[in-house]
Amino acid sequence: MISTMHFKRFITLALLPSLLLYAFFVIVPVFWSMYYGFFEWKGIGPLKYVGLENFSEVISDPIFWRALKNNLIIVAASILGQVPIALVLALLLRKSSLLHRFIRSAVFMPMVLSTVVVGLIWGYIYHPQFGLVNTVLEHIGLGSWKRAWLSDRSANMYAVSVPIIWNFIGPYLIMFIAAIQNIPSEIEDACKIDGTRPFQKLFYVTLPMIRGTINVVIVMCIAGSLKAFDQVFIMTGGGPAQSTELLATYMYNNTFNVYRYGYGSAVSTAIVVISGGLIAISQLVFRNKAE
Amino acid sequence: MLGYALVTLYPLYWLFISAFKTNQEFYEHPFALPQAWAFSNFKRAWELSDMGRAMVNSSIVTFTAIILTLFLGALTAYVLSRFSFRLRGPLTGLFVVGMLIPIHSTLVPLFIMMKNVGILNTYWALILPYACFELPVAIFVIAAYMSTIPKEIEEAAIVDGVGYWGIFLRMMLPLTLPALSTVAILGFLRYWNDFAFALVFINKQSLKTIPLSLSIFSDGFGTDYALTMSAMAMSVLPTIIVFLIFQEQIMKGMVAGAVKG
Repeated sequence: MISTMHFKRFITLALLPSLLLYAFFVIVPVFWSMYYGFFEWKGIGPLKYVGLENFSEVISDPIFWRALKNNLIIVAASILGQVPIALVLALLLRKSSLLHRFIRSAVFMPMVLSTVVVGLIWGYIYHPQFGLVNTVLEHIGLGSWKRAWLSDRSANMYAVSVPIIWNFIGPYLIMFIAAIQNIPSEIEDACKIDGTRPFQKLFYVTLPMIRGTINVVIVMCIAGSLKAFDQVFIMTGGGPAQSTELLATYMYNNTFNVYRYGYGSAVSTAIVVISGGLIAISQLVFRNKAE
Repeated sequence: MLGYALVTLYPLYWLFISAFKTNQEFYEHPFALPQAWAFSNFKRAWELSDMGRAMVNSSIVTFTAIILTLFLGALTAYVLSRFSFRLRGPLTGLFVVGMLIPIHSTLVPLFIMMKNVGILNTYWALILPYACFELPVAIFVIAAYMSTIPKEIEEAAIVDGVGYWGIFLRMMLPLTLPALSTVAILGFLRYWNDFAFALVFINKQSLKTIPLSLSIFSDGFGTDYALTMSAMAMSVLPTIIVFLIFQEQIMKGMVAGAVKG
């Protein structure tokens, strides 16, 4: 038999490498980021302690608020775009026939592409001269709607939201399909016996039964949209004139383009606080509804 | 429904047909099939974007990170799922929290820390963060699978005098192979496609990964469209092939990982 001493030694030795690496690369940086927020620093030279100056600058910085607003546009676009599309497709894709499997794979496919490729392809799709969007508008006689989608400030936030919706619908679709398949077949039978009409069944049976999954998906939309960075960074870099700036691109540009490490760190901290707050709020809403 | 699927696929289809066009054709007939399939685009794109170098770098980083993720993830999952000890709950919680941390908020401190330790601009600057940020999902997926393995197997092994390491290496690893392969495939897609870490932690031309070498096409160099399209087409082929082979596993794994996130 193996002694307690062996037991303890094994647990320690087995956990130590991953714990150390994980703490060093994931946990510590979050706190370190808060710490750097208290300094003014150009990346080289001495750190200058400035107290809460960076944080108060974040709060009074109009571009920070615009970035947050842009992130919230993406949150809204995800919730209003991804959830309904994924839900409708899931309701229609219940069989595991060849056609249904093909559609599921097709919708999931963008998920496996590099976000850089997604950004570049859509950059071309929106291209003012030869982009697909403008060419299609021309062909269907809506030539007057043509514009430079990514530089027109009235349209570019919506334009950059579309690829993000396109990119991430797949997982939600699969989650909804799984949830619908989990509805007990007795309920299905009961509906048949009662002669429930399809629409009644949808609103009184199916949707309430998968409400938990819908809530989880909405939480994921919120968390995912606050992390949005790659596609927008590739398509516009946050421009023109910071009109498509997101929290993450703003943090990146402050730190690695204008070398304001302290300010960038304060923005980072704000991102952590905001995502934590939004996730907590959505969890509360989720719990209350579940009860 | 089928219509929506085709619309979803259209940008990809467009990418692949455009990769075979000349610049002028791309500009004048963006929708049409290429008049003459210009396979030479791929050769030129391969050379000009230094795609060979990028493929080698991406492969080295991806596969080392996968091995590290699997080993650390499996070992941690084994301890957290099969042993009971006082710190088990808090430690599991600590790893779960990792799924909620937005990676971009760690870029600055990681950059500075790795610069101080001197691993910035090495393969390790990507391998270690990749493996660490994937650990929560890896542990979650592997531990869930391990908890389905009957405890009697281990007890029998202990009676036979096999140590914990022996049980882990010779029994748990082979028995959890399906979960390990799910983690490996998800890791492959994440690491192969990652942009943010590569953008910040790698500046050396010779170490650039595929997404990084593609990203140069986004700022001004991108006027050679045919070239960009061919380079992109080549870069997405590996992930599309992996997806077509393992799609069921990928869909299940991503959802399992995502639900907790």
